[in-house]
Amino acid sequence: MTKRAKRRLRAIGRYTALGVWAVVVAFPLFWSVMTSFKPPYEWFTWPPTWIPNPFTLNNYRVVWFGELLDTQYVQSASIQTPFFALVNSIAIAGTSTSLSVVLGLLLAYGVSRYGILSEATLFRLLILRMVPPIVVAVPVVIYYATLGLSDTYVGLITVYVVSTLPYAVWMTKSFIDEVPVEIEQSAQLLGASRLRTIWEVVFPLVRSGVVATFMFILILTWSEYLMALFLSATNISTLPVQLNKYEGSTEGRLYGWQQALSLGVTLPLIVIGYAIHKHLVRGFSFGMLKR
Amino acid sequence: MAEIRLLNLRKEFKGTVAVQAMDLEIKEGEFLVLVGPSGCGKTTTLRMIAGLEDPTSGEIYIDGRPANDLEPGQRNVGMVFQNLALFPHKAVFDNIAFGPRMKKVPADEIRSRVEQVAKTMHIAHLLGKFPAQCSGGEAQRVALARTLITDPAAFLLDEPLSNLDAKLRKEMRAEIDGLHSRLRKTFVYVTHDQEEAMTLADRIVVMRDGRIEQVGTPLEIYHDPVNLFVATFFGSPAMNVIGGEVRRKAGGPVFTFDGWHVPLEGVGEVPDGPATLGVRPEALRVEGVTGGYRARVTLVEPLGKETLIYLDYGADRLLIAVASPSFWVEEGASVEFDFRGGRLYLFDREGRRLGRG
Repeated sequence: MTKRAKRRLRAIGRYTALGVWAVVVAFPLFWSVMTSFKPPYEWFTWPPTWIPNPFTLNNYRVVWFGELLDTQYVQSASIQTPFFALVNSIAIAGTSTSLSVVLGLLLAYGVSRYGILSEATLFRLLILRMVPPIVVAVPVVIYYATLGLSDTYVGLITVYVVSTLPYAVWMTKSFIDEVPVEIEQSAQLLGASRLRTIWEVVFPLVRSGVVATFMFILILTWSEYLMALFLSATNISTLPVQLNKYEGSTEGRLYGWQQALSLGVTLPLIVIGYAIHKHLVRGFSFGMLKR
Repeated sequence: MAEIRLLNLRKEFKGTVAVQAMDLEIKEGEFLVLVGPSGCGKTTTLRMIAGLEDPTSGEIYIDGRPANDLEPGQRNVGMVFQNLALFPHKAVFDNIAFGPRMKKVPADEIRSRVEQVAKTMHIAHLLGKFPAQCSGGEAQRVALARTLITDPAAFLLDEPLSNLDAKLRKEMRAEIDGLHSRLRKTFVYVTHDQEEAMTLADRIVVMRDGRIEQVGTPLEIYHDPVNLFVATFFGSPAMNVIGGEVRRKAGGPVFTFDGWHVPLEGVGEVPDGPATLGVRPEALRVEGVTGGYRARVTLVEPLGKETLIYLDYGADRLLIAVASPSFWVEEGASVEFDFRGGRLYLFDREGRRLGRG
């Protein structure tokens, strides 16, 4: 076999493997989208229909606008429009992610430049994060009940900030470590104050990394289910919690409705991800690309 | 213009001593080079002058003012780092304008000053580019311009040429030399390259293991080294060293090695006992020698303007002789050599120079 043929064969193999993997990853998304446009009798039909027939927007009208309830096959589910949960999700995930990244960045700067925490300590904190959330969920519920933090924004945001902070510190630290300290020192020698140096020199150089960290943590908090379920009641509710509510007393799980909502949960992340994709490519490569 | 004084300066890093008991006076307008092998404390010393490193003890005076408690930005010194440390996200113009901007100079004045500095550094055409788009030499000029524009009293340069190729290094060396003659400001320059030190310095400070070994002009250091370390550090190829013994004979002291005797003329008063003889390659003669010492030629390196002859005389180290380009011997041949007319240096067992002044 010639060298060229060999290389070609390798390329074919590589793309086949990647293609198969792409299908595996994308299939649930495809199924979710298709189900959201199916009429109720197609949700469970066997053999399954791949493409909705007839194609309907009814699931969306029911879930998002509370219309058509009486004309639908399903009648007994309790329905509440998810806009309330959407606003909650945006407020809670947005605030906790921003706080986590800002605090993480400042902490990471201290760790990277002043060694305020050793790498070992930092790693231990990260390992703590490996504890399954369910282990701490019950104690937190009890604490929160006592402190009156249950079912409040402050309560849920605090849990999210605390639980994502180790990630934020680790990720941003790796980006700060990459900025040669001499760059900061030359700014100082040229008369820049410490804060000015961070703002004008360090921050612009780690911006991509910060954006990538933000996206990573946003995905965590946006899709968090367990704590949101345990720590919310009537005042606050997030989209993942709502997602689990589409169950009729006689019909079982209402897949079409659930998927109509799940698209609303997924879409914002996709839009944000697309808007910042330039930063993500640089940020997620963890500095393997040369600046 | 500034004179810099270091008094009993000491720096420790977690138990290891980087600089110890350093006393040094850097004169106004002087080009001082700190030179030594890596880890000798030269960069730490420079960073302490800049204020980037706090001394463990001792004092620093810049222009007569105690500077220990001054922030780097208040010391009125400019520094060029080994990796240049240009701001990669700022265009060359903004890199150079950074200093004046921090001092709140009006924008139109900044523009004219940047353009003027860029012109003197021959980088006017680069102002719109980013550091990553500049070549090594260009980036070097930008780094110098960025320091130059703030008009510091002293320039601190930390191995600024070490990332350049040999040809460019020589060019930039001449440029820095020219800059110093034009500005007549205090330059403190760190390097591990003895040739750079020799060509640039008004005075050289040779450091080893955190201590100053010798301070002097390049020629003093070359011709009158205080010890074996300084003697072998300067000069290329390095000084030849021969182990042996000093003995007293009727006609005066002689140095004996390998059964041969070298009369010690002009070496001064030296005690008997084990010693090391140092002789620079250019003082070791191989041409037209009769009645000299015998050695086998192991390597002949014609360099064009001279030819280096490597000699094996039976010890574990080779001797190197500089011969004229017309001189030729076969490798493996036996030749005679002597030190007649050349300057000899004697060192004791600890490497201290014997018979000096």
